[in-house]
Amino acid sequence: MGWLDFIFKKKDKAEFVQLYEEYSKEIIPAQRPISQLSFIVLDTETTGLNPEKAEMVSFGAVKITRSKIQVESAKEHYFDTSAKNQEALKVHGILYPQNPTKPEVFAKELLPFLHNHILVGHHIGFDLKVLGKFLAPFGLKKITNPVLDTQYLATRLEKGYHYDVGMGKPGEYTLDSLCERYGIQLDDRHTAAGDAFLTAQLLLKLLKKAEKIGIADYRTLMR
Amino acid sequence: MSNVIVNRVKEFLKNYPPFSFLTSTSLEEVAKAVDIKFYGEGEMLFERGEPAQDCFFILKEGSVSLYDLKEGRENIIEVCDEGDVFGVLALLGKRPYILNAKASEDALVYAVPVAIFEKLVQENSRVSLYFAAGFASGQVVIRNDLSQSQKARSVFNQGSEDNGLLIFTGQSDFNYSKEVLTCPESTGIQEAAFLMSKKGVGSIVIVNEHRHPLGILTDKDLRNRLVAAGLPYETPVVQLMSTPVMTKSPSADFSDLYLTMVKNRLHHLIFTEDGSSKSPVTGILSDHDILLSQGNSPAVLINALMNTWEVPAMAKIRNRAEYLLKYYLENEVSMDFVANIVSEINDIIIQKAVQISQKKLEELYPTIPAVKFCFVSLGSEGREEQLLRTDLDNALIFEDVPEAEFQSTQQYFLDLGAEVIEILLSCGFHPCPAKMMANNPKWCQPISIWKKYFSDWILTPNQEALMNATIFFDFRAIYGQKQLVQTLTDHIYNEIKGKSIFLNFLAKNALLNPPPLGFFRNFILEKSGEQKDKFDIKLRAMMPLADIARILVLSHKVVGINNTFKRFEKLAELEPNHEELLREAGKAYEILMRVRAIEGLKSQNSGRFISPENIGKLQRQLLKNTFYPIDELQKIIRVRYQLDYFGS
Repeated sequence: MGWLDFIFKKKDKAEFVQLYEEYSKEIIPAQRPISQLSFIVLDTETTGLNPEKAEMVSFGAVKITRSKIQVESAKEHYFDTSAKNQEALKVHGILYPQNPTKPEVFAKELLPFLHNHILVGHHIGFDLKVLGKFLAPFGLKKITNPVLDTQYLATRLEKGYHYDVGMGKPGEYTLDSLCERYGIQLDDRHTAAGDAFLTAQLLLKLLKKAEKIGIADYRTLMR
Repeated sequence: MSNVIVNRVKEFLKNYPPFSFLTSTSLEEVAKAVDIKFYGEGEMLFERGEPAQDCFFILKEGSVSLYDLKEGRENIIEVCDEGDVFGVLALLGKRPYILNAKASEDALVYAVPVAIFEKLVQENSRVSLYFAAGFASGQVVIRNDLSQSQKARSVFNQGSEDNGLLIFTGQSDFNYSKEVLTCPESTGIQEAAFLMSKKGVGSIVIVNEHRHPLGILTDKDLRNRLVAAGLPYETPVVQLMSTPVMTKSPSADFSDLYLTMVKNRLHHLIFTEDGSSKSPVTGILSDHDILLSQGNSPAVLINALMNTWEVPAMAKIRNRAEYLLKYYLENEVSMDFVANIVSEINDIIIQKAVQISQKKLEELYPTIPAVKFCFVSLGSEGREEQLLRTDLDNALIFEDVPEAEFQSTQQYFLDLGAEVIEILLSCGFHPCPAKMMANNPKWCQPISIWKKYFSDWILTPNQEALMNATIFFDFRAIYGQKQLVQTLTDHIYNEIKGKSIFLNFLAKNALLNPPPLGFFRNFILEKSGEQKDKFDIKLRAMMPLADIARILVLSHKVVGINNTFKRFEKLAELEPNHEELLREAGKAYEILMRVRAIEGLKSQNSGRFISPENIGKLQRQLLKNTFYPIDELQKIIRVRYQLDYFGS
């Protein structure tokens, strides 16, 4: 190892991260019908609203393949957080998580799980930032999966492409009001896995709606 | 680790029988295995005659109606409500559905895999009793509340009595044989077999002097109880027949007959004058008759395929074909026929897929290149041997175009290939892991490049070239300009003519897989990995035969025969001195195809890996017998192509 390498010590890239990057190179064909696509619907709970500072408290996700929610694939993890953030946890009612998952164990399990699937969430941008920060220590530069936001999909289907959520009624496209509108029972709200499950059910209904108006394949879904 | 999502499913299930009888641990196991699906109003969950899925359903939200068609009109039999369990025929030996199920409102449905539930049914007597009661009354829906069920029925099934079977309404249209082959109890087994073979039937009914049925003997019994048991041919039929027999009156309700067969796992049901076994035989109803009555004959399926442009409908028909395949395999229908039917169905699906894709691209492309092309199948589908929907291997050949147009032309055909592949995946085929498919730029090329590919493989037979050769030399035109394929075939024979050394390389490659039996006549099993202690029937037994058939066919310049077993038959004509061995090799290949397909259907995979201890002594012996020609042929190849002197 040269002395320069020593100064600019590269972050070691874990093996599972390399594998993830290898898999990500595969692109989903534009023509693939919606019924043949695989999704991972996910949600995180954090100690705050600023993704730069917030710590991940819990993570929940479930896989959808061939338009079916695979209950077997459901994931739920809780994490230890630093003391200064403990205060914020009272909101979630999880003060001291039982059986917290170690970050490395989580990362090793998560990345192979994500391989090449479309990631789905409500306001998923926030969750991806939090996850990205969590996974950075293992050498992951970026989560490269294709991404679909259920809030965006719902507004697109109801109001069209160029609708600005900010212009509408406040709260019209929150997970709560969408679930109410689409007849999904609000259970286990504000747990990561519970919200991921609700979002997954919402996605199934939105996709069905999309197919009815001719959004039939990957290309048109992700446009 | 329990988690919120599994718990949510569990909380729902535990309110409804039969799930309410389960312990918390068992229930959790079931909840974990559930798939959740949403059906929009008007969407079908399953249709009459379709093979049962590997799950049954419980309705979470919305409503699902079960109906049959009466003179083209929907006749609603049941409307399912939250918590109702339906589609339970899947639990009974995977028989096809007898009703249509449609979401009459948006419906959220939990699908419970049969495999996990079967285990619980055995463990928990209350659960099995619950289902048994349901089946006994012929219910299609297992109601969560009886009084509600009575109510629902009286609303939706006015006029019909509540004690009958609800699955079928009235006499159904089915045909059965009224001419039954019978013999007296004193008959010897060989004579009985002779009578069956003379009449061309698979069963014989043993009767007493009043023609009252005593027992039945089938093809299978001859194999399992006579040959396998090593009994003499003089054994009296009464010693081998199945007895007592189930009898019914031909005027019985079809649903009654059907359920009797299903519940008792019968392949044949005997009709007598008054329905009891103490009355003369009047007819016999077989599995096959039922299959036909459900519209699962090859002609019906092919006709249905020709008449649809909907991918989901094509997928369903392909699933039905699998049911047909299973029936054929169980009943030892000739492999030639089976392979022909399945290849025909696959071919039509591919042809349709190309046409559908062309139509779709018409809208997307302002100008479609006026270039002729041919969509070809490779590998096992190219050889018309793909019984199960295993990996796709295909390619696209188009005419040569001026260089300026090459890029746009190739782009169009790549898009076409991609559309076709997506349709085929939707129909249940699997992608080729090595990406030998028409959506790969390398395998979507003009004829001049294809000629060059083959020339290169023939002139420089390195490891990769030989690997490609084993797949690409079995190409077969499926759709488009067949002349392109003919041109390519001519080119190949021209190239090989001068370079016979290529065949030596190909021959050497064919012997890379050692004979399937070890020194002690044991199966050579996989030594490690996921398939440890399993026998790789494709690599060890089928590929060596397919490879040898290919080399010999190439050396004799035979054109247009792709089936490995037909190739061997042709070769037997061409090489009279090895006639017997070559014919045996063909037979061996047929047996291997059958064994693999049965294994694949049984374990819902490619059937490639077989556990020798799980297949029974007879099958094991049968398999071993197929290896003998492999060994002999490899010896011949070694001598003919002088491989012992051929440097590596």
